[in-house]
Amino acid sequence: MKRPSWWTGFIIVFFLLVSFLLAKSLVVQIKTTHLRTEAQFYAQTIAVLNSGDTVEQLETKNGWIKVKSSKGAVGWVHSSAVKPKRFALLSMAGDLQTKASSDEVALAGKGFNKQVEGEYKVRNPGLNFALVDKILKIHISPSEIKDFLKKGQLGEFRGEQ
Amino acid sequence: MRNKHSWMVLVLCFCCFLLVMKCSVMEESAGVFQKVSQIVSSDKESVSKTTKALRSGFGDITEEEEYYIGRAVAAIILSRYPVYQDDGLHHYVNSVGKAVVFHSERPETYMGYHFCVLDTDEVNALSAPSGFIFISKGLLKRCEDEEMLGSVLAHEVGHVQKKHGLQAIKNARLVEVFTLLGKKAVEKHTPQDLSQLTDIFEGALSDIVEKLIERGYDRKYEYEADRLSVQIASRTGYNPHGLVAFLKTMEPDPPSAANKGWFKTHPSAENRISRAQKEIAALDHIPPKIKARTTRFKKALSRLQ
Repeated sequence: MKRPSWWTGFIIVFFLLVSFLLAKSLVVQIKTTHLRTEAQFYAQTIAVLNSGDTVEQLETKNGWIKVKSSKGAVGWVHSSAVKPKRFALLSMAGDLQTKASSDEVALAGKGFNKQVEGEYKVRNPGLNFALVDKILKIHISPSEIKDFLKKGQLGEFRGEQ
Repeated sequence: MRNKHSWMVLVLCFCCFLLVMKCSVMEESAGVFQKVSQIVSSDKESVSKTTKALRSGFGDITEEEEYYIGRAVAAIILSRYPVYQDDGLHHYVNSVGKAVVFHSERPETYMGYHFCVLDTDEVNALSAPSGFIFISKGLLKRCEDEEMLGSVLAHEVGHVQKKHGLQAIKNARLVEVFTLLGKKAVEKHTPQDLSQLTDIFEGALSDIVEKLIERGYDRKYEYEADRLSVQIASRTGYNPHGLVAFLKTMEPDPPSAANKGWFKTHPSAENRISRAQKEIAALDHIPPKIKARTTRFKKALSRLQ
């Protein structure tokens, strides 16, 4: 039996590297977003993605990105819900002993959060955050939006009678 | 054989070069490549440098941070104005708002967009960072159809899309907060840090509220939001002349209202109308006004007192 040649190994490594170079990783930057069957906000949901989840970009269309989730689900997310995942293999400062990515550093450095809001509330007891939470509960479902657009001949329903 | 190996080594080196370049370009796109260093838990100085390098301006405020800033600005607005009590009206205004948001360039924020009607006769519309948008009863009464309402909401969505609220935060505060966070990046906030962070948070809110409620955004931001209103409204399917029609209701400014709400914080309607008309003239297609929309608008606002 003929042993695999140098060429076989070389071709495998080459294709692995090329696939890695072509793949673009994105990270979810909002609290939750939906992986949808089509590039539309009222399209059916395939999966829910949470802040920090990583997805792989497959293609783009009119501000939407077709992605593959870490669990293998494929669908569309809007580009404003994700950002490119940044990582640093190089250290310009010469410190190559470390492993943390720049994303991790940015995350660790986040400042204005629930803890700060809590302290701010203590200092400003007159502010009504309960009312803000009430506003956040106003919810228009995707099917209601679709119906609203359709009846008003808006969005993709423009020109329909 | 040797030639073949040399050739393979060359190609592999090229691949490795591309790999390294990919990482470099990704960092460079964030404008931080030159300063990025990586951390070990014991190297706080390195962490400080890295975090400061990663975050230097309003654009580096994360979606989550913007949400907490927006929440607090919303709480300040709600401490000055009561909410109009009508769930049906809120449902309608949020439907128009969502229709517009879905056709903007930034339809997703940390917790999404939310529209609230304020119970005041003052004519005003305000947008807090991250998508908290307020519209007064007085302004709603000036709208005659859904085209006008959609255009006003699209103007406010334009402010959120371009992060005009965050741009009101003084740069010195951002430098201060990013420096503080850089020093403490790998530690939990101590009570002292939390106190200092909250001081900066209060300062940032004060900067935004001063612009939003007291002085108004710079004219260039208002003109930009008008331009976006024309684009977003027409993409949604609304007739963008709704913005012009609304602005016409704002001139001449009544003397009694001159120092309140919209009149106090926005440039004169006359200039804005001529600019908006030029934007509309440049559109390839102008969606027509539809009667069904005006009918539902009048029905939703029929109970407005």
